[in-house]
Amino acid sequence: MYDLLVVGSGPAGATTARIASERGLRVLLIDKRQELGAPIQCSGAVSGHALEEVGLSPEGEFVQEAIYGFSIYNQEGQKTTIDYRQLKPDEYGTGEGKKPLGYVVDRRRFDRYLMTLAERAGAEVWLKTEGPGLSTLPDGSCRVLLRRFNKELEVQARVLVGADGLQSQVGKWAGMRTHIKLRELASCLQFVVDGVETDGLLEIVTGHRWAPGGYAWVFPKGHGYAEIGLGVTRTMTRQNAQAHLEQFLKESFFKDRFKGLRILEIQGGGVPLAAPLRTQYADNLILVGDAARHVNPITGGGIHTALSGGKIAAHFLSELLAKGKKPSRQNLKGYQDRWLEERGNFIWKLYGEKSKIFKNKDISSRDEQLYQIMSGYFSPHSEYKKI
Amino acid sequence: MSKKEPVLFRIGWNACINCGACVAVCPQEAGFISPFDTIAVDTPCDIACMACEEICPVTTITHYLHEIDAA
Repeated sequence: MYDLLVVGSGPAGATTARIASERGLRVLLIDKRQELGAPIQCSGAVSGHALEEVGLSPEGEFVQEAIYGFSIYNQEGQKTTIDYRQLKPDEYGTGEGKKPLGYVVDRRRFDRYLMTLAERAGAEVWLKTEGPGLSTLPDGSCRVLLRRFNKELEVQARVLVGADGLQSQVGKWAGMRTHIKLRELASCLQFVVDGVETDGLLEIVTGHRWAPGGYAWVFPKGHGYAEIGLGVTRTMTRQNAQAHLEQFLKESFFKDRFKGLRILEIQGGGVPLAAPLRTQYADNLILVGDAARHVNPITGGGIHTALSGGKIAAHFLSELLAKGKKPSRQNLKGYQDRWLEERGNFIWKLYGEKSKIFKNKDISSRDEQLYQIMSGYFSPHSEYKKI
Repeated sequence: MSKKEPVLFRIGWNACINCGACVAVCPQEAGFISPFDTIAVDTPCDIACMACEEICPVTTITHYLHEIDAA
């Protein structure tokens, strides 16, 4: 019998598994893939603060490039630059005793690294394993049916942790309605490219013309590469992300800069600009990370929120089980309460701001609002900068 | 609201980037998925909301009416 069965070894699941193992729980972490992180659906930007908060350091194994700030552009190319090398030159930079603000990570390496740490902390890890269903047992634990390399098997666990991402099936097993509304999932496509110069800044391009209901980005990707992508809200445009990305490359104020680019990788997916799930627990079950929609509804960023949500889940569950309490729906509500207190209430507030902007039907004033909120969001004075 | 005509989805695998966005917006119950991180292709869908087709970044999901083609 395991204390925790964690489904999905991304940043949320592996962090839950690692910290729960460190705190003495018996943990099984499963993932359906043979290699983690791919296919990549994410640009990979994460703040240094987010890593520190869960006891991680920026290892060369997964860091692709150091980041020192942001440039936010409006549709015409006017920009607000927030470069911490200039704002706080004593703290941020490349010199001795200075540090980057954040990193662009390789999700394949990052996710593998997080899984490795979970294994080193004592968690058991099974790859090529998926779970088609669960049932609750009379003793208060649950039984989960798994398939591992085509073999069917059953595992008993006290708590099932669904960390299976946006496509989460685990919550659905318990009858929860976990799908994301079409208008709250940005449809995204990005190219990793050669031949586009960057300067240690995350560049974000707003404006309905380029990315209706979303934004475009140019991020440094290490080795002189960059990633160029965008996300659109499909209820605000008739064209798909691919068509919008083509237009952004060929017609935007960056068209000369993009002229000689060579495409090295094509990636994409849904980026949630969504509210957290209202109910993230059931009997013997909690959801964490993207599966619980622990995401930033303005930026769509989800690594930081996944890491911190995993830590909250691991602490809560180890305390609950140490007290000998049953992981009933009633008792697991405490996990969500704690998450709301530490993170979620801020995220709900951000979601409120995002919704207000997206409800504005006037495109040019909506564009202006989006530019303002993005520029304010990353400023050193933002109340949200640590989410 | 009257129930919609059930549809079957077809995926152009050549363009599919296996991103799973179609599954993320799908209101079907657990298991309406393919082994390639997409919505199910062999099971009729009676919700027929087409959110999966809309969200697809490369527009590679289409559908056909279950009855007509199955008859």
